[in-house]
Amino acid sequence: MNKKMSCLVKHSLKKKIKTKWFVVVNILIAILIISLANIDRIISLFGGDFENTTNILVVDNVGVFDNFKKYFEQNSKLIEDVGNYDIKLSKEKVKKLETDIEKDDIILNIEASTDNYLQAQIISFDSISLMDSQLISTSLNNIKDDYVLEKSGLTESQIASLTSSVKIEKKVTSPDKDTYKDSEYKDLLSTGIITLFIVPFFIFITTLVQMLGAEINDEKTSRGMEIIISSVPPKTHFKSKIIAALSFVVIQSILLIGYGLLGLLIRFLLSNSAGSVNSVVSGYISQGITIVKNSGLIEVISKALPIIIILFIISFIAYAILAAVLASITTNIEDYQQLQTPLMMIIVASYLLAIMASTFEGALFIKIMAFIPFISVLLAPVLYILGEISLVSLGISTIVMLVFTWALYYFGIKIYKVGILNYSSNNLWQKLFKSLKKEGR
Amino acid sequence: MLKVENITKYYGNLLAVDNLSFQIKPGEIFGLLGVNGAGKTTTFRLILGLIDKNNGTITLNNEKITYDNIDKIGFLPEERSLLTKLTVIEQVLYYGQLKGMTEKEIIEKLDYWLERFKITEYKNKKIKDLSKGNQQKIQFICAIIHNPELIILDEPFSGLDPLNVEMIMDVIKDLKKEGKMIIFSSHRMEHVELFCEKLVILVNGRSVLSGEINKIKKDYQKKNIHILGDVDSKKLEAIKGVENITKIGKELVVKIENESFIKDVFAYVKKCDNILKFSVEDASLNEIFIDKVGATYE
Repeated sequence: MNKKMSCLVKHSLKKKIKTKWFVVVNILIAILIISLANIDRIISLFGGDFENTTNILVVDNVGVFDNFKKYFEQNSKLIEDVGNYDIKLSKEKVKKLETDIEKDDIILNIEASTDNYLQAQIISFDSISLMDSQLISTSLNNIKDDYVLEKSGLTESQIASLTSSVKIEKKVTSPDKDTYKDSEYKDLLSTGIITLFIVPFFIFITTLVQMLGAEINDEKTSRGMEIIISSVPPKTHFKSKIIAALSFVVIQSILLIGYGLLGLLIRFLLSNSAGSVNSVVSGYISQGITIVKNSGLIEVISKALPIIIILFIISFIAYAILAAVLASITTNIEDYQQLQTPLMMIIVASYLLAIMASTFEGALFIKIMAFIPFISVLLAPVLYILGEISLVSLGISTIVMLVFTWALYYFGIKIYKVGILNYSSNNLWQKLFKSLKKEGR
Repeated sequence: MLKVENITKYYGNLLAVDNLSFQIKPGEIFGLLGVNGAGKTTTFRLILGLIDKNNGTITLNNEKITYDNIDKIGFLPEERSLLTKLTVIEQVLYYGQLKGMTEKEIIEKLDYWLERFKITEYKNKKIKDLSKGNQQKIQFICAIIHNPELIILDEPFSGLDPLNVEMIMDVIKDLKKEGKMIIFSSHRMEHVELFCEKLVILVNGRSVLSGEINKIKKDYQKKNIHILGDVDSKKLEAIKGVENITKIGKELVVKIENESFIKDVFAYVKKCDNILKFSVEDASLNEIFIDKVGATYE
C-alpha cells in the first residue's frame, strides 16, 4: 500500500510542479526577490545623484572649528542614514562664499555674541533639511556648553562629571520579561513580523486550499476517482493528497528561501567587487538589522521557534484536511469555490486579527482568538512575539490545534469516504451525517 | 470464481439492487442487462466495494473482496474516467501503478496493447486530444493492463463505431480464452446475445431473467418460424397455436406458442407455391424480455 501511496503522492506533486506555470511563476518570484534584495543597486544602475555629500563651509570668527567638526561628526554617527558631510574651514569672506554658493553647499558663519556667548548664520542655496539643521544646531549647542564651562572656572574633573550621562539601570519584574512588550521598536517590528511570517503563510494557505480542492474535484468530476478508489482505499487517497499538498508547500518555501539567499549572495558579491552603495535602501536595511538586533526579537523567536514550527505544520495539515473534505462533498469546481468561501474568510479574519494585534494591545478578545483553531496559526505567534501572550499560552494554543486537527481527521476521513464517490447533491447532509456514524474500510 | 449471493442495496428508501445472485467461473463472459437506472452500475460498485451493501455476500475465489485482493479486478467504468490533461503514457502509468505494477511492466504491456488497438502514434498525445473512441480504447487498456482475473466492463462499447466494437469484442474473446472472468453490462441486447454465456436482466434492481442464454432460449417455449414464399398470412393466423405474424422485408415471421405447433404450420406452408425458406428459430432475448416483463426493453 505504501507503493501505491507514493505513486499517488508522486502523481499529485508532479501535477503541481511539472507544469509550465509553476516554472514561469517561480522564475518571476525569483527575479522579484533577487531584485528586491538588490534594489539599491538597480536604482544606482539607472544613475542619479546618490552621493548626496553636503559641503559645510565654516567661517569661524571665534576659534571653535575643531570642536564643531568633532561634535558634528559624533552627532551624525548617532543617527542612521544621514548623508555624507564634508566640513571645511573657510578663510574666505561670507559675502564671497555666498556669491559662489552651489546646490549642496552650506555656509556656517560662527560669531561671538555679547549676550548669548555664540551666534551663527546658515546660508544655503536651497532650504536645508531638518536633519542638517538639527545636526548643526546640536553641534553648536555642544560647543557653546564647552565654551561656557571653560569660562566658568570649573576643574576638568568637575566638567567631566557635569557633562557625563546619568547612569540608568533597567530592571523588569514581569514574568514575561523576556518579551519586549514595551520595546520602542514594537510597532515597527509588528509590521515586519506580519510581512515576514504572516503574509507568506497566508499566501501558502490560500494556495493550498485552492490547489487541493481543484485537484480532488478534477479527479472526481472526471470520474477518475472510481478507478482510483477501486485500487486504493479512500483513506490512502486522502492522506496522499495532504502529503502532496504539504510537500508542495515545503518545496515552494525552500525555493523562496533559496531565492532570498541567492539575492543576498548576489548583494554580497556585488558589494565586495564594487564597494558599498550609499543609498536610502542600504540605510533602511542596516537600520532594520540594528533594530532587530537591539530589540531582542531573535532571542524571543528562537525560544519559541520549535513550537511555532509545530503550530504551522499542524495548521497546514488541518487546512489541507478541511479543504480535502470540502472538495470531496462537492460535485463540481463551482460548488467547491462557493464552499471554500467561509474557509477563506476564516483565513482573512485571522490575518486581520494578526495585523490589529499591535494596535489593540491587551485586547482580551484578540487573546482568546489566539486559542481558536485555524485562527491561532497566524495570531498566536504574533501575540507571543509582541509579548501579549506567554510561551506557555503559545504551547496551549498549539495543543488545542493538535487535538482539533486529530478530530478533524477522524471525522473528516469518514465524510471523505462517502463524499468522493457521491455525485449528487440530493440529501447530501443526510448522507454526510450518516457517514459520521459508520466505520468504513 | 466470482460469487454474488443475495445482495441488496438501498439508497435511502430507494431499492437499487434487490436480492441479486449470480456466479461467474473462469473463462466465462457474463452479461448484466438492464435499462438506465436498473442497478447495473450499483452492482459493479458493490462488487468493487466502492459502496456498502445492505445484505448479501460477494466473494472472489472464495475470498471477500478487500483492498488486499482488489488488484485481481480490472474495472472499466461507464463514463470516461480518464484525466484528460495527462498523456496516454502518463495516464496508463498512473492507473497501472495504482494496480501494483512497475513502470517497466506497464510500458512493455502498453506497447503491446497500443499495437493491438492500432493506436501506437497516440502514446505521447494528451487524452483530451484523442477521439471518443480512442479514449475508450485507452480506458479499456487501463482496465486490463495489470492482467486481472476478473474484468468488469460497464458499457464497454459506448461511443465506439462498429469496427472498434469488433476490435474490443475480439480482445474480450481472447481474454475469455485466457480464463478471465468477464462481466459486462450493456443496454444493448444484441451485444450480450452475441458472446455471453450467462446473463442477468435487471429491472428496478430485481433480476427478471437469469441463467445460461442457450438454456433460457431453449426453455422458452415460443418459437419463430421464418417463411419466404407465396403464403396467405390470414390463413396462417387461423392455424391453432399461432400467436402473431409480422413481416420483415419479404419474410413473414410467425410466432408460435410452442414447438408442437410447427407441424401444423408446415402442413399449410408445403401446400403453398414458391416457398424459398422455412426455418424455425429460437425467440430473441428481446422477445423473451418483453414476454417476461410485459414491456419493451428500451
